[in-house]
Amino acid sequence: MTILKGLLAAALLAAPAGAALANQGITDKEILLGEIEPLTGPPGLLGVAHNLGARLAVAEANAEGGIAGRQLRLIAEDDGYVNSRTIQGVRKLIHSDKVFALTSLSGSGQAIAALSVVEQSGIPTMISIGPVPQLFEPPRDNVFVVGQTYTEGMRQLALHLAKAHPDKRWGVILQDDDYGKALAEGLKQARNDVKLNIAYEATYARNQRDFASEMLGVKDKEVEVLIAGGIISENIAMVKEAERLGISPVIATFWPGRVPEVLKAIGPASDGLLSVDYVMPLQSAGGIAFLEKATKYLSPEEVARVNRYTMSGYSSTATLIAAIKACEADLTWACTIKALETNPAMDTGVMAPISFAGGSRFSNSPVHILRADAATASYSLVE
Amino acid sequence: MTYFLDLISSGLAIGAVYGLIAMSFAIIYKSTGLLNFAQGEMAMIIAYVAWSISVRVEGNPFIVAAGSIGFAILFALIVERIAIRPMMGEPILSQIMVTIGLSVIFRSAVVLILDGLPHNMAVASGNALVDLGGVRLRVAQIAVVGCLFLAILAMWLFFRGSRFGVAMRAVAADEATARLMGVNIGRIQMAAWGAAAVMSGAAGVLFAIAYELSPALFHLGLKAFPAAILGGLDSIIGSAFGGIVIGITENLVGGYISSGLKEIAGFVIIILILMIRPYGLFGQKRIERL
Repeated sequence: MTILKGLLAAALLAAPAGAALANQGITDKEILLGEIEPLTGPPGLLGVAHNLGARLAVAEANAEGGIAGRQLRLIAEDDGYVNSRTIQGVRKLIHSDKVFALTSLSGSGQAIAALSVVEQSGIPTMISIGPVPQLFEPPRDNVFVVGQTYTEGMRQLALHLAKAHPDKRWGVILQDDDYGKALAEGLKQARNDVKLNIAYEATYARNQRDFASEMLGVKDKEVEVLIAGGIISENIAMVKEAERLGISPVIATFWPGRVPEVLKAIGPASDGLLSVDYVMPLQSAGGIAFLEKATKYLSPEEVARVNRYTMSGYSSTATLIAAIKACEADLTWACTIKALETNPAMDTGVMAPISFAGGSRFSNSPVHILRADAATASYSLVE
Repeated sequence: MTYFLDLISSGLAIGAVYGLIAMSFAIIYKSTGLLNFAQGEMAMIIAYVAWSISVRVEGNPFIVAAGSIGFAILFALIVERIAIRPMMGEPILSQIMVTIGLSVIFRSAVVLILDGLPHNMAVASGNALVDLGGVRLRVAQIAVVGCLFLAILAMWLFFRGSRFGVAMRAVAADEATARLMGVNIGRIQMAAWGAAAVMSGAAGVLFAIAYELSPALFHLGLKAFPAAILGGLDSIIGSAFGGIVIGITENLVGGYISSGLKEIAGFVIIILILMIRPYGLFGQKRIERL
């Protein structure tokens, strides 16, 4: 009987708290949004760029009059890409800052770590930096993932390479973590459809800086198509080693490091480097229009830091803002989540239209193959 | 045979990078008893400053080298004066915690002040390729090996032939007695930090030219520290040797056994050697009288 009373009391206490949470972050003048990402340290390259995208979406919405007379305000927390700090930051944003919705949950590992906190709170949350299956399988009511999985990206890239360069000797260098495993799975799936002659395979430890022995292996096995499964500095090191050894296989990389700075850091050897991404290149029509928009709302220094993460962050946040706008008359979490499900697909021009129709919590954005141009440090779409 | 020579030469080049940073760990430890866990981060910051100089002087290697050395000394002296000197006499763990704190600050500072993006060090002469009997190396890789041997020679002459070097050895052997003999401990500490910054800075800059410049460069410090332990933390020249052993071992294991074992190979060797010689290959056994 005592336990029953306790449970009843807890339920009574919890009910108004939940109701208060669902409407938090809204005053007569503003709607508070929050996001967490790495803003310092090496991963700041992606976190800062994502933050610019979210801020751009907020600035654009505010310039158009905000939502029901309220201006949007974004609070950004820095987690330094450290899981424990992500969890702390998310708790702060939800319970202390009392934001209405979250526009980012940092990278894939950090988002997975903070997922239970977000799920329990029920706060509408967008994830676009690290779209991995653990974040949308099984689907969580309030968590929406924008992008494509590394596995599918690898599968599509392998199919393209197999078609464009048939009967070639392949080399695969992957990282010894979930990212590397996801790419390996994509390659495995591609091998169900096409025959690949993988002559050299290597797995390296995260934070490895010297790739001399791996690239010597690539040279020794006369690899003609190389999957460089690093993120940023690893790919720079691999391509520069290929240049040093005087070998020129077709080298393919992935979207985490598809930023102009990587091409500039590699130098002339980056010419012809292939990549796969669900975000359009900055030099595409959509990218050029995006840059014009960024110039309008961001400072010149900030525009110089725009990259693919800015575009995906913008698209994801614009999708959320459109859902909140659809709930002008009923600014609640339930309405926002429903609107995210039922709104027409959001077309920002820099990604395929984003939709969560049919109860899905994953945008499943199609990928494109891109080719680097060293002279302009940019990418263009491969037909 | 070329494959083997390629692995050895690549291992020697990366080992020289580890070796120079390992020497930096050792010189500070030998003269002050302190482990500077921000050594890798200092190398990274000096490399970023070298890059910012290089883009302004069209990659002139002499100006880049002079500017980097000047900055390295100034940077080390400021860090030593502001963060380390006030901790003199405090428990060693507190001092080490200060260096760990500095490492975190430096990592963030490179993003906040120097943009933290990967860059191409605009020193074309360092990036140029040289063919040595079928083995292709970048000039910066050859230069880092040269720098290591130069540093070894300079350290050997300094500790053997100069009064200041003898004073440093005296501080390392018995700080209290050295102080009573009139040795200025503060000056010794400043010199050690300055020399360490120049050596790790040279490693960072040449690594950035030959391999890549990104904030992840600080990880070199994590590889160099075991090299210093392997060679003997109180042996500056031994630490350099430790770096070369780790660099070559990594490449041979990566080339002949498995890339996945490359990162642990150096640590396996360290464990084996420390089991036989707990003070490192060239370290000296300390006898403490109670």
